[in-house]
Amino acid sequence: MSTTRQYELIYLTQPDASEEALGELHKQVLAVVDRFSGTIERTENWGRRKLAYEIGHQREATYVLEVINGPGAMTAELDRRLRVFDSVIRHLIVRVDEDLASADRSKTKRKENMAKRRVRRGLPPEPTDAELHRRREESDDFDGIGDGPYRGGGGER
Amino acid sequence: MSDFDGGRGRSGGRDKDKDKGKDEKGGRRTFFRRRRVCKFCVEKIDYISYKDVKLLAPFIPERGKIQPRRISGVCALHQRALQNAIKRARQIALVPYTTD
Repeated sequence: MSTTRQYELIYLTQPDASEEALGELHKQVLAVVDRFSGTIERTENWGRRKLAYEIGHQREATYVLEVINGPGAMTAELDRRLRVFDSVIRHLIVRVDEDLASADRSKTKRKENMAKRRVRRGLPPEPTDAELHRRREESDDFDGIGDGPYRGGGGER
Repeated sequence: MSDFDGGRGRSGGRDKDKDKGKDEKGGRRTFFRRRRVCKFCVEKIDYISYKDVKLLAPFIPERGKIQPRRISGVCALHQRALQNAIKRARQIALVPYTTD
């Protein structure tokens, strides 16, 4: 009995790969996953992207991401298979379940701690909308996740 | 120096005013204005994904090297995760190994 784990598979194909070729690749992946009685959770086609560096004289590639649940032996087989295809110029399989689980844990822990602290101070466990709004107004250097003041942090040394 | 870094990484340096005060009192490092806070702690980012180029980009200066945390102010825990993410992103050409 093998344990099921979650993996992310990303593969890069030639930029001129047709829809059918991509469909064929997906089918091949699916076949391997099926054989190991795994499941494909979702598939994302990122489309053509510029590469950060040239791979085999190509400057662009089509990226496809597949999130797969299955046993570890499956990855070895996927790896072997993907290496054979000429149209796949690069691929990467990463195990993600542990990292995502630990991220989840720290998130819930942080929430719990916050709720505890707030209750101790005699506040409702969750911040109210009014509070959140005020906090947004007050902070002068941070206006939301993602668009922090760090854009281009490398340059402003 | 390393003591200093360790102390500031995760818990310290939340408040930029506090930082400034310390610099002035010490009489050194005043030329170094960079706020020393860990972006991932402040923004409560638990999982640093290798797919998120926008998240990684600020930590990759022009040359393509990974920015040391003594400059970026990232805490040790998150620098390790960041390093992994950048290395994975490099493998699939989302991020450069080098640029010249």
